[in-house]
Amino acid sequence: MTNRLLAVAVAAALLLAPLLTANTFFHHLLIQVLFWTLLGASWNLLGGFAGQVSFGHATFVGIGAYTTMLLYLDLGLPPWLGLIIGGALAMVLALPIGLICFRLRGPYFSLATLAVAEIVRLVVLNWESLTAGPMGLQITTLPSMRWFGKAVDWESKLPFYYMVAILTAFAMGVTWFVSRSRLGAYLLAIREDTDSAEAAGIDTVRTKVIALALSAFIAGLAGGFYALYFRYIDPDAVFSISMSVEMVFIAVVGGIATTGGPIVGAVFLVVISEIFRDRFQVGHLIFYGLLMMIVIRYLPEGIWGRARLLLPLGKDGRD
Amino acid sequence: METLIQSIVSGLLTGSLFAMIAVGLTIVFGVMRIINMAHGEMVMLGMFGAYWSYEKWHVDPFVAVLIWVPLMFAFGMAVHRYLLRKIVPGGELNALLYTAGLSLLIANLALFLWTGDYRSINLAYAAAPMRPFGISISKPLAIAFVMAVVVMTALYLFLSRTDTGRAIRATAQNPDAAALMGVNVLRIDTITFGLGTALAAAAGVLLVPSLYVYPTVGEILVVKCFVIVVLGGLGSVPGAVAGGLLLGLVESLGAVYVSVAFKDTIGFFLFLLVLLFRPAGLFGVGKS
Amino acid sequence: MPLLQVEDLTKHFGGLRAVTALSFSLEKGEILGLIGPNGAGKTTAFNLMAGFIAPTSGVVRLDGEDIVGLKPHAVVRRGIARTFQIVKPFRKLSCLENVTLATFLHETNRAKAEAEALRILAVVDMADRRDRHAADLTLGEQKRLEIARALGTRPKILFLDEPMGGLNPTELENACLLVQRIRDGGVTVILVEHHMKAIMKICDRVVVLNHGVRIADGAPQDVVRNRDVVTAYLGEARA
Repeated sequence: MTNRLLAVAVAAALLLAPLLTANTFFHHLLIQVLFWTLLGASWNLLGGFAGQVSFGHATFVGIGAYTTMLLYLDLGLPPWLGLIIGGALAMVLALPIGLICFRLRGPYFSLATLAVAEIVRLVVLNWESLTAGPMGLQITTLPSMRWFGKAVDWESKLPFYYMVAILTAFAMGVTWFVSRSRLGAYLLAIREDTDSAEAAGIDTVRTKVIALALSAFIAGLAGGFYALYFRYIDPDAVFSISMSVEMVFIAVVGGIATTGGPIVGAVFLVVISEIFRDRFQVGHLIFYGLLMMIVIRYLPEGIWGRARLLLPLGKDGRD
Repeated sequence: METLIQSIVSGLLTGSLFAMIAVGLTIVFGVMRIINMAHGEMVMLGMFGAYWSYEKWHVDPFVAVLIWVPLMFAFGMAVHRYLLRKIVPGGELNALLYTAGLSLLIANLALFLWTGDYRSINLAYAAAPMRPFGISISKPLAIAFVMAVVVMTALYLFLSRTDTGRAIRATAQNPDAAALMGVNVLRIDTITFGLGTALAAAAGVLLVPSLYVYPTVGEILVVKCFVIVVLGGLGSVPGAVAGGLLLGLVESLGAVYVSVAFKDTIGFFLFLLVLLFRPAGLFGVGKS
Repeated sequence: MPLLQVEDLTKHFGGLRAVTALSFSLEKGEILGLIGPNGAGKTTAFNLMAGFIAPTSGVVRLDGEDIVGLKPHAVVRRGIARTFQIVKPFRKLSCLENVTLATFLHETNRAKAEAEALRILAVVDMADRRDRHAADLTLGEQKRLEIARALGTRPKILFLDEPMGGLNPTELENACLLVQRIRDGGVTVILVEHHMKAIMKICDRVVVLNHGVRIADGAPQDVVRNRDVVTAYLGEARA
């Protein structure tokens, strides 16, 4: 019961939040929080639930971003369609990547994802005929669209807010369903002990691949959104190690294998980011690092993971 | 032909320094089974140390090595003793994440304190390269190479001839058995981490005359380091040396004969291939 | 046709001959004991038959079908479940969650999977500990949990790897009764064990391995008197 209440409250908050004020900076912050929640949720499916710590998840974000961008710029495809295709392409490319990397376990897997991510980044950087290399790609005008009779005002942040809100709601819905399903139970088992999982009849490779596919799809969607919102992408923005590490950070600090964790992690990340951007311009990463260390040492289940234990969410408190 | 030899020589010289950094990483893995994501930052700290001691007190980096190595050894031990010790029992992934956080912390602290400006030092005697047999060799790199060889030899002697060295090797093979033999495993862990840090920092100091110094240099270095350590076999010191030299060669030859753009990619491909088909390293001596 | 037919199963690790040309068959409803001195290759044989290691050569037929080369989970689906010599429960999960993971194999609905898991926990006398985390159990309880987990996959054959190790006399007695209950419930059992009393008590037949080679195959009382078996365990005859 409390779970449903929470879900309704969150949905209401999502719908109404931007209407609290006309301050576009506030809207921008909200969008940031939701965007990073999306990324955290994506990583969480593979890294949190299945315990496969990927340091190269930005790859899927980048694939989504470039696909959406190129489909729009070169083929005039409507952005929302490009978004979905971007996600789908990321999912498709995740399969061979998974095939390669899943042969490895633990830290070896993590290193492999790092290597793959760097290879993809270098390929995109150097394949100038397709991607314009280091110069990046840019959207100058977004298509005129109508939504319920009114023309969409792309200059305002609101359309983007609702776009990312829908994507985030989708991602959280997926996470929630997974956490309660057989797939979720299987993923947690794999995280604990892969041999025992096999002995219990779980096809560990197939299960990991499913988690990866979902994770990559969501990351691809996020990448597509990034392209539309920021209107400029280059390999260093969307394929970077920093983005990969920040995705890990959000999920770990927020709460591994929880539905609510990524939001908490994203809020922390964005708040710290903004506080430090005002005063120090770069200091925020110092605190990411520090926070990561503190969480691993004292709160391995994450901030939301720990908070959840204190809240009356019932025995089945999978938020 | 001359280009080939030139290429090989520079590859080996740079490779020797990579090797030293990689040995630092590999001994930590061998003894504690953790992959230290902050290893690159230790190199960076060594670089900055040498840079500042040159700027402020005009100490030649190759002399400054004598100051910074013991200091960084102590720093490494402190990092293990006060930060890592409680994390290691939590498992490899936790340690990986923790050291990733540490890496972010150190790199960005440096960025904050010293800005991201690329710095370099210009030693007077470095201006003109040496030209033995018509091959151009940068003097600082040559000196660095010689010192790296000295350090690695000293390390080899330390590990094989001293009691502490033997204790380290024993712990790497089997911590439980070593403990039963009276080895204070925690103390060995701390010493090893200090040693690994010192090696990284030493390489940093030696590389200062030859590379640009900036706070995020660790990011690229640590990834190269992983490649080397996996190529040579995780936990194997000779493997790391061979791997370092190999990577130096591959990058040098790759830059000349393939393309500058893709020289990094070659290393990664090799890395993936090895991880997939010979996870114990090219020479089969790595541990899992 | 025997339920399980092992023919010339061999595994060499480089120069080490862990198992050589092992052959035996298993009839439905039997409790077969697999014994031998330490290092004889018993656990390796289990790993080979259950798909955890690939054999160098040889055939393993379950109901006539060769299962060599299948991944462990596929072998489980075909009907062979195993326990581990050193228990590997899912430590952070509760007993119920541990067994539900196994019952999920045949029952995708969570409620039904949990119901069946509870039923199986009752079979191993652990129903009252359903919500306890596996990490908080005693060794005996963890072993029973692992057996429950294996049973959750609805196996035709259960491989038990040294289930009696580390148990006190009461637990031992109960373990023997449990194995018999499992057999009476329709599951055929292969038991690797060192406890001779348990073997003598519950096994219908015994296969003896030494240095990876089968040296005896027969009723427990015959095998125990077999000269080669005695030599294997005690060294050259002091008879």
